[in-house]
Amino acid sequence: MDAGPVADYNQGVQFQARTLEAVDDDTVQQLYRERGWTDGLPVVAPTPARVEAMLAYGGFTPDQVIGVELVKQRALTAEKVAINAVLAGCLPPDFPVVTAAIEAMCKEEFLVHGATASTGGCAVLLVVNGPIRRQLAMSSTFSVLAGPDRASVCIGRAVRLVLRNLLEVRPGELDRSTLGHPGKLSWCLAEDEEGGAPWLPLGAERGIPDEVSSVTAFAASAPRQIMNEWTTDPVELLTTVVAEIKATMLHYSIWSGNYAVVLPPQIRAVLHEAGWSKADVRRFVYEHAVVRRSDWERVGKAAVVNDRNRDFEYRALPSPDHLLVIAAGGEAGGFVAVIPPWLGPKSAATTAAIGVCIDC
Amino acid sequence: MSMTVLDPSFEEAAVAVVLPQRPRSLAGATVGFISNGKQGTKGFFAHLERLLRDEWGVAEVVYRTKSNYSAPAETSLINEAAGWAAAFAGIGD
Repeated sequence: MDAGPVADYNQGVQFQARTLEAVDDDTVQQLYRERGWTDGLPVVAPTPARVEAMLAYGGFTPDQVIGVELVKQRALTAEKVAINAVLAGCLPPDFPVVTAAIEAMCKEEFLVHGATASTGGCAVLLVVNGPIRRQLAMSSTFSVLAGPDRASVCIGRAVRLVLRNLLEVRPGELDRSTLGHPGKLSWCLAEDEEGGAPWLPLGAERGIPDEVSSVTAFAASAPRQIMNEWTTDPVELLTTVVAEIKATMLHYSIWSGNYAVVLPPQIRAVLHEAGWSKADVRRFVYEHAVVRRSDWERVGKAAVVNDRNRDFEYRALPSPDHLLVIAAGGEAGGFVAVIPPWLGPKSAATTAAIGVCIDC
Repeated sequence: MSMTVLDPSFEEAAVAVVLPQRPRSLAGATVGFISNGKQGTKGFFAHLERLLRDEWGVAEVVYRTKSNYSAPAETSLINEAAGWAAAFAGIGD
């Protein structure tokens, strides 16, 4: 059933990947399931023509290295990433987002090996900014944390299949998550830039020029939803957010790192009305999300509190800039999602421009 | 009509590594423990040290902890381990 390398498809693209022959789509599904190449859902057959179209859209050559996973020293080529993008259901215009996400995840400070292997069981959350959101018809509103549109679902799934097939991040293999969470299947959202004035988009805050699209990768625990629709005071509103962050620090991990907060329009309206910028939100959370070691005593963790450390203070954020403030969500509802990091500072959120090189 | 599809997995061969020879005996040897820093390694390594000293005649046990339990050991630690007769890596949660 296996054959050698494929040569000379439509545009003369030569692939290095091994080929397989299948009599029909049912056989393709069976082949990929049996080899552990799917997440359990059906896949789109990665024919040479489909993979070639994926590569052509972004002007990639098959052997172009998108990123190198540093622990295994494993180069992830455009050809292999494209095959997985086809499998995931991506369309060619999605592909530059997928490659930028892989580029972001391969930055040393993201520590993709640790984040995807850890018992902590985080998922990779992707936040897309810029004009490409509109080109791909990505939705930033209803059910935004749960795959609100085709592109978001397929891009997030493509990243998961890259991890699975190119880095062996499969449950019980490299993926040693004790529990994991549903975001691991696919987790991608587009920020609501239009509804967010006067707020800066996340990409712009992280150094991406105007009119350049970007993707930010964040090794993220499961989202916690809080509710406060009984105030128009930003301080009260953000006090509820801070309470959730402090609870996470006590119940999960006390170590500081990136956190994300996803703020829907009803919440943003309160903040805008009071003239609060994203920077104001970050400053407030930085200053108030603080717990003491002795607080662990009341949540069953007295064993790791002693007289020497009981008065130590711990901040959720090493600096205000470690809070990712994301505008997204359905128009009604006084809810906010707090998304904690995988584990404190071990992985940093990273951002890559889509389709352009900013610093080369 | 059959269709041709492409393999999505990583296909390049792993870089070959030459393994050092196993020690013939641990009697009088210095061995090292590399902990990932988690609580669960303490009891495990304490028990292992007793076994190595009492039953295998190990002379010295060096305890080291990785600086980041989610990343490989740092180069300085790997270089130090090269001087041990054997290294034991433990993961504890």
